[in-house]
This record gives sequence, structure tokens and C-alpha cells, in this order.
Amino acid sequence: MRIDRPAATRLVVIALLLALVCWLPFGLDSHRTFQLTMIAVWAVVAIGLNILTGYNGQISLGHGAFVTLGAYTSALLMARQDWPFWVTIIAAGVLAAIAGLLVGIPALRLSGPYLAIATLSLAIATPQIVKKYDDFTGGTQGIGRSDGLVQPGPPGFLSDLLNRDQWLYFVVLLTMLAMTLLAWFLLRGRIGRAFVAVRDAEVAAAAMGINVARTKVTAFAISAFYAGIAGALFVQVQGIMTPDSIGILQSITFLTSIVIGGLASILGSIIGAAFVVYLPSDITDLFKKLVGAIPGFSGETIRPGALQGAAVIIVMLLMPAGVAGFLIRLIRLRPVTVLQSVRSAPAGLRSGSAAALERLSSLWDSRPGRRGPPRPQSPEDKERG
Amino acid sequence: MGSVFLAAPPWENPSLFADQVAAGLATGGIYALVALAIVMIYRSTDVLNFAQGEMAMFVTFAMWSLVLAGIDTWQVLIIGVLLAAALGGFIERVVIRPVENAPPLSVVVVTLGLFLFLNGMATGIWAKGELPKSFPSPLGSTQEAFKAVDLGIATIPRHYLLVLIVGLAVMVLIYLLFNHTKLGLALRATAHNPLASQLMGINVGRMLTLGWALASVVGALAGMLVAPIVSLDPSFMLAVLLYAFAAAVLGGLNSSLGAIIGGFTIGVVENLFGTYTPQSWLGPEMKLPLTLLLLVLVLLIRPTGLLGQRAVRRV
Repeated sequence: MRIDRPAATRLVVIALLLALVCWLPFGLDSHRTFQLTMIAVWAVVAIGLNILTGYNGQISLGHGAFVTLGAYTSALLMARQDWPFWVTIIAAGVLAAIAGLLVGIPALRLSGPYLAIATLSLAIATPQIVKKYDDFTGGTQGIGRSDGLVQPGPPGFLSDLLNRDQWLYFVVLLTMLAMTLLAWFLLRGRIGRAFVAVRDAEVAAAAMGINVARTKVTAFAISAFYAGIAGALFVQVQGIMTPDSIGILQSITFLTSIVIGGLASILGSIIGAAFVVYLPSDITDLFKKLVGAIPGFSGETIRPGALQGAAVIIVMLLMPAGVAGFLIRLIRLRPVTVLQSVRSAPAGLRSGSAAALERLSSLWDSRPGRRGPPRPQSPEDKERG
Repeated sequence: MGSVFLAAPPWENPSLFADQVAAGLATGGIYALVALAIVMIYRSTDVLNFAQGEMAMFVTFAMWSLVLAGIDTWQVLIIGVLLAAALGGFIERVVIRPVENAPPLSVVVVTLGLFLFLNGMATGIWAKGELPKSFPSPLGSTQEAFKAVDLGIATIPRHYLLVLIVGLAVMVLIYLLFNHTKLGLALRATAHNPLASQLMGINVGRMLTLGWALASVVGALAGMLVAPIVSLDPSFMLAVLLYAFAAAVLGGLNSSLGAIIGGFTIGVVENLFGTYTPQSWLGPEMKLPLTLLLLVLVLLIRPTGLLGQRAVRRV
């Protein structure tokens, strides 16, 4: 029997990684375990958002709204109806998916910046609405222990082995792995290809028989489903949900983190989630120390927002495929290709003037009455509102 | 009726209604300025600038530190305009220029990055101790600046009147610049067709930088004028930015006149929402969600806004 070497290597790597993540909560203190748990929670949001934005090309600045909806669904069902936590997680996902459907249908009419504005409004309006109808939602105080919200602990037969933090870690990790696998199967199948086709060439996709409207709405619903599940996990881990737990900055952070991690990449989503957790804590502390070491500067001026903004801009300018894309290129780097790119450098320098010539000649070709290649982008060609 | 509604209805108390409309027009002037800045940038570089509000916030905080240093408020206003121009031009050159031809998603993300960066820097540098900080009106102390003036039809605080006058003056100046100077013609040509403008000998790069600088000035003026009303903290421009987006979308994202009309409309509507909605299930704290609902409705029913041009897309 012939052994498929790359597949075997991949299996070994995956098995080692799994063993590592199972060992981590026993090797790390409770704070570090909590951080890992939060990474898994945000990874679920990030994968969902990446399905919508990375794979389907629809921007959303409002995913905090779906996370909030999922979190409140889970919190209220657990506190007021005494539902078991895992049932509320599913309920949260389903309810958020319905909300996603309802948002996705009007979103069909919007694209690019307009969709960004509309979803931003959604994220900003949600906390205000939650606060206003406080009889139902608990208002600014939120839903917490005093309302009867109890964080799930390990079942009896495991209570000697695991404490609550470790149990939560495994609950969230398992959910996250299941959601990752689901995304992986979805994206490499028919639906995923339809998502990408609609993103890259809507008209061509329609001509190939893809129902563009249904595809876009499906992407929204699936993405919101992920956000709702993550919201429910968030409540299990935090033990409390308030209207400002997931604010507008958090919604923006979701989007920027998948850009930093890598758009249209599951690995990128997970890396982005790690950024969401480590940026405000460890990375900021590191930069505070670094800047504080420069004489005349105070480390206290360094804030997570500034670092995150700078990171997003730098990633956008230098590595548009995100950290994940950069890592993959690094792994695939072969000495031969490096040599080749060095050899072809002079040609690259020449290409500037070549591009200018090409632009001029295509302008010439696009004069009225002449047939030729389409003109380079000019304002009339672009969508103007 | 009195228990259901926050205020007496207009037919019972017309002077309250007039006052509310006047106050709405003044805040509307602020929204109109920020909306105008957004539209100026959108027209010239096709960028929807999510960082517009934070650019204004950053400049306003910098000017607040000058006020603390004891510099006269009118002088501070002028220094603020210069700083805003430098900031806008710098951002266009360094951050926006490299993504000029990138897909809209990348550009939106870059302006969001700017948003986070400026917000984080302002928080780190200035937002120490008690928040919000108070920003003085150029008209003097708070009591003096917010003394009501009787205009015959309505009474309005003096600072609101200043906001309205400065806002209208800026709009007229921008109109004159764009429509009656050679520079304005070059700016419009660049926005309309960069390649043809370049071939006609216009320095397109410089025009784009200038456009960002101008928009930044207009936004920062709005920031420094609204700061005495809402007082200063790093997120004070967020609500203003949203209302300005609503205004720009209402008027049409590529129409300057539309942005101004939209700004005044949103200002008045917002104020009336806050005054007249039933307290029991809506009320003033719901005016932002309601205005955003209005924005989404406009987007759905007439995506080009009131005065915007319909987009024709080539496939």
C-alpha cells in the first residue's frame, strides 16, 4: 500500500496539536486558561464573520449585535427558564441565524460602504435597545448571578479531574472545533464555492446558475449562526451579560482582527481571535514596557486601540493576505523561488513605466468609436452610489 | 396626553416647537459639516472615511490642551484649522495613497484602522483623570455662551447661533471655492476623472491631498464647535459621525448639497424625536436607534439618497 506522505504528515501534526490543546489547561494557570477559552469563543465569531466577509465579500461591522443576541438568549433561557446550557447554545445559534436572515435580506440591496454603514448602525443601536427594554433584559445591570444565571460546572463523574475553568475550556474548545469542522466542510463544498463565486464575479456566478440572492442571504444567516453560538459561549465563560459587554469597538475589532489574521482563511480567523485576546493584555503590556524604556516617553500613552489600528493599517499595506497568508508563504518558501525573484528584480523595476504606457494605450483604445480593452478604472466605471 | 408624551404637542405649545426646531437646525449644522467632509472625500477619492469623526476628535483634544495652556479660544480655533489641514493631508499621503486602487473592503478597513488608532492615541495622550473634559466656547464662559437669544420666532442659546453662523459660512466658502476658483475646478476635475485631469496637466496627487486636508478642516471645525455642547471625551464624535453618515446617505453620498440638506433634516428630526416620542416605550434615549432606522429605510427605499446620482455599473 502506498502511503500518502503529505496526508500522513498532516494527520500527525493535527494529532500533536490536539494533544497540546488538551494538555494546556492542566499546564497553565487559570488566567492563561481563561485567555485560551476566550480565544476559542472569539474564533467562532471570527470564522462566522470570515464566511460572510472573507468568502462572500459582504462587509459587516455589526456582528456584535448577533453576538449580543445570542448571549442574551442563552442568559435569559438559563436564568429564567432553567434550560440546560447546551440547549441554550443551540437556541442562541438558531435565533441569531433567524436574525441574520432578516438582516441579510435587506442587505441584498446594499454593497460596500453602504452595507458597512447599515451594519454599523445595527451594532450601535443594539445596546441602546437592550437598555431601553430593561424589564425583559435586566437593563444596564445585565443578567448575572443575582438573576439566577449559574455557570455550568463539570458533571459528577468528572468533578475530581477538572475544575470549572478547565471544564469550560473543554466545552468551548469542543464547540469551536465542531464549528471549525462545519465551516471547513461547508466552504470546500458546493455552498463555499458559490460564496466565493458570488464574491468574485456576481454576474458570472448568476450566469452559471447560482442563485445570487439566496447565496448572499445564506451567508448572512450562517455567519449570524456562528455569532449567536459564540455569544452563548461568551455567557458560559463570563457568567454575566450586560448591554455594553459587546460594544461597537468590539464589533469593529471582530472585522479588523480577521483582516489581521487573514481574510477567507479559517486559520486566519483563529489567529485573529488570538489577537482579540492578547492585544489588549499581553501585547499592550509589552509595548508599554518598550515605549516606557525610551527616555522622555510614558508607556501609559500606549492603548490597545492604537496598537490595533496601527496593526490593521500595516497589515493592509504590507501583507494583504494577513498573518495567516504570510505564514503560509513563509512555509512554502523554497530557495529556488527566492533566487528567481532576486533575478527578476530588474524587470520589476521596469514595470512602472510599462504600466504607465499600458494605461495610456488603453485610454487611446477606449476613445468613442474604437473597440478595445476596457479603460482602467475611472470614476464613471465605479459604483457611485 | 401629557403623561404619554414627554412634551406638550406643538399645537398646544408652539414656542417650544419653534425652539426645538431652532436647536435642531444648529446641531444639524454640525452634522451637515461632518457629512460635507465625508462627501468631499467620497467624491474625490471614493473612500468612505470612517475616521472622519476621530480626526476631528483628535484635533479638538489637541486644541483643548492649548486652551489649558492659556491660549485665547479664537486663536485656538485657527490653530486647530491649520493642524486639521496638516493631519488630513498627511493621512492621505501616508495611509490612503497606497490603497488608492484597492477594493472597497480594504479601504473601509484602513479607515477603520485609522479610527481605532486615533481613538487609542487620544485616549492615551489626553484622556487622563476625570472625563468628560469641558471645552470652552469662543463666546466666553459657559453661562455667557449658553444664554438664550430671542430671535422673534424662537429662542436659541448664543453658542448654538454661533454654530449655525459658522456652519453656514463654511458651507458658502466651500461652495465658492469649488465653483468659482480655478483651484476648485481642478479639484472637481480630479474627482470626476483623475486620468483625464492628469493628462490636462493637473497635479492629481496634490489635489487629492488638498481634498483630504479641506475635508479634515471642515470636520475639525464641526468638532471644535460641538465640543462645548456635548463636552469632550474620546468617543464624543461617534454619535456625530453616525448622524453625519445618516445625513450623507439621506442626501446622497455624492452630493454636497444633499449632505447639507440631509444634515439639517437629521438635526431637526433627531431633536423632535427626542422631544415628542412617547416616554413609555420610546423616549429620548431611543433617538439614535430611531435615526439609524430612518437611515436604513432611506438606504433600502432610495439608495442614491435625495440628490445623489444613480450609479451605472459596467460589468
